[in-house]
Amino acid sequence: MSEARKSSEFWRGVRDQLPLQLGVAPFGLVFGVLGIASGLSEWQTILMSAIVFGGASQVVFAQLWMSGAAPWVVGGSVAVINARHILYSVSVAPYLSALPLRWRIVLGYLLTDEAFAVSIHRFEGAKPDQPVHYHLLGSGLTLWVCWQLSTIFGVQIGATLPPYLNLEFAIPLTFLAIVVPRLRHGPEIAAALCAGLVALVGQDLPWNLWIIVAAVAGIGAGACVDWIRGRL
Amino acid sequence: MIWIIMVVTGLLNFAMRVSMFSGLFQGAISPSLRSVLRFVPIAVLSAVIAAAVFIDPANGAVSLHIPKVLAAAIAAIIAWITQSVIATIAVGLAAIWIIGALI
Repeated sequence: MSEARKSSEFWRGVRDQLPLQLGVAPFGLVFGVLGIASGLSEWQTILMSAIVFGGASQVVFAQLWMSGAAPWVVGGSVAVINARHILYSVSVAPYLSALPLRWRIVLGYLLTDEAFAVSIHRFEGAKPDQPVHYHLLGSGLTLWVCWQLSTIFGVQIGATLPPYLNLEFAIPLTFLAIVVPRLRHGPEIAAALCAGLVALVGQDLPWNLWIIVAAVAGIGAGACVDWIRGRL
Repeated sequence: MIWIIMVVTGLLNFAMRVSMFSGLFQGAISPSLRSVLRFVPIAVLSAVIAAAVFIDPANGAVSLHIPKVLAAAIAAIIAWITQSVIATIAVGLAAIWIIGALI
């Protein structure tokens, strides 16, 4: 396989990923700010972006940690939030299963929402002998670098931002931008409403279990409505 | 302690990402599991949104903080129409600043 094709595939991945950084960079910035505001140290905040490497789950991690949740609840919540990655993993498996182990480890680590979104598109469109794993490497690394840099920047400027900016409000806004366009059918709407309501009602649950309970309730509601619709 | 949780959750996260092309499984999940996993992002993110908008962080009680609720509603409409993350965040932040300044 020619080096030129690998390199062009890599840079294509970088190019495809760059526009999405307009959303990733502010999110990383907010996480950096929020990590410090939650009482994490600078190193804990910065290294969490490298170790956990999952936007929504890092935010929830920081918030639960700040509110004194039990370790297993923090870990369990992060796991539930990131369970969607199993779906991504299934989708890319046909293209990556034959790669050497070191490739699969690196690409597994880099498989985020945005990297999956742009690279699966390329995987499905490319000719079979194209080295498309370089596309995922390019898109995944682009996001990784942007996420780390914006976290560091957020940690640095966090203390200087006045609280009235309400910058932490960018987090629910980011999630609204992801969730709302998907609410086009009954099962999705049921999942969202049920999870939201249970999250509010369940605030007093011990150990901050509300997020896990709300997620399970929402998933159950969505699956139920889906099942009923299938029967009609 | 926090480092241990961080590393464990990081490993869990990695395990789920790499799971289906790790070589440990056959790379197939049942259609029913797939249809359930489909709701995971919506359910989790909706729970986080609801708490961020309707819970008073000071005491953990449900409260109607008008700027937050209005800004979230405006952002939701923008998200529905534009499907743009940038537009949603920009309009939502502008809304909470403006409404907060007016009230």
